[in-house]
Amino acid sequence: MATDFDPIENGPARLPPPEARRFRVDFGLLFIASLSLSAGIAVWITQGPGQFFHLLWGDTAMILSLLPKIFGGILLAIALSMILPRDRVLRLVGPDSGLRGLVIASGAGAVVPGGPHVTYPLAMGLMRAGADAGAGTAMVSGWVLLGLNRVLIWELSFLPGWLVALRLVLTLWVPVAVGQLARIWARRVPLPDDAHPGHRR
Amino acid sequence: MNVIIGTVLIWGAAFALLRHIARVDRAKLPQVWRAARATFLVMLPRTVIGLSGASFMAALLPKGQMAALFGPEQGITGILLATVVGAATPGGPMVALALSATAFKAGAGTGALLAYLTSWSIISLTRTLGSELALMGPTFLIRRLILSAPVPVMIGLAAQAIQASW
Repeated sequence: MATDFDPIENGPARLPPPEARRFRVDFGLLFIASLSLSAGIAVWITQGPGQFFHLLWGDTAMILSLLPKIFGGILLAIALSMILPRDRVLRLVGPDSGLRGLVIASGAGAVVPGGPHVTYPLAMGLMRAGADAGAGTAMVSGWVLLGLNRVLIWELSFLPGWLVALRLVLTLWVPVAVGQLARIWARRVPLPDDAHPGHRR
Repeated sequence: MNVIIGTVLIWGAAFALLRHIARVDRAKLPQVWRAARATFLVMLPRTVIGLSGASFMAALLPKGQMAALFGPEQGITGILLATVVGAATPGGPMVALALSATAFKAGAGTGALLAYLTSWSIISLTRTLGSELALMGPTFLIRRLILSAPVPVMIGLAAQAIQASW
């Protein structure tokens, strides 16, 4: 593929500020910690410490097996955000990309296979490279609601075809609509930089 | 096995991009590395805590009774109930779809079933707590959830109306 852009000019490639690299405790972490702690305590009380540790070890094994995938996904997203030509991303899925941009983002979310460890890093990479909150939301919504992978592999093997088709037809407009609302919202109140270090919006 | 295939594919794509960066501007590689490491370190505690919490919640849910919850109920009550049950269903597609199939066989209404599936798709605790909160940030997630909240009920009602007119 010919590259007709200058990555030095176009790549965001901004380093996170030093304070962002330190361990951060924020709302997200506190929320998730209190939720998980309460659930853990409830399991301990209602089902006993045996079940508690059984679940905990199971999770540890699962997380360990996921770690390389998660890190690979992040590496992919950051490399992508440096390679993607910012002007083109802006035109395609930037704040002024209109409904067309939201349709593109929703479609990308629906088509890209690989689950959370691909789609979230991809949305993050696109947002670092110039996509707006509307396109990011449309992409995530397109994946969770219309994801082809899940429809073909999972839904059709559990449910009758007419039901899956009805769900898809009724849901088709949703990612674009939710994306448009998120875009309007972000125009009034921009998304804060609360996701991760080096996040550009 | 799926995890291994996915990991290999992701790393393959990442390496291809890194090679491209190395060819164009080698000096950028350390920047990619630093940014990736910083993001990973922020994400790690959140993902570990989130995934454990989601599996604790899954263990607490009475899955046997959940399908029955939106079985006989019809109309808006059934749809609202299904939406709540869908939001509370953790785990991957296996859990939610097995539950839907059970409910479908038990005679759940189309409206309630689609409301359930839509609600679960939007919220799925394992996904939102395990990855989205950490990678996209709480504001992105909360806004997406608020904006999507009416969707399961709307789709449930539409499906019900369509079924009634058949």
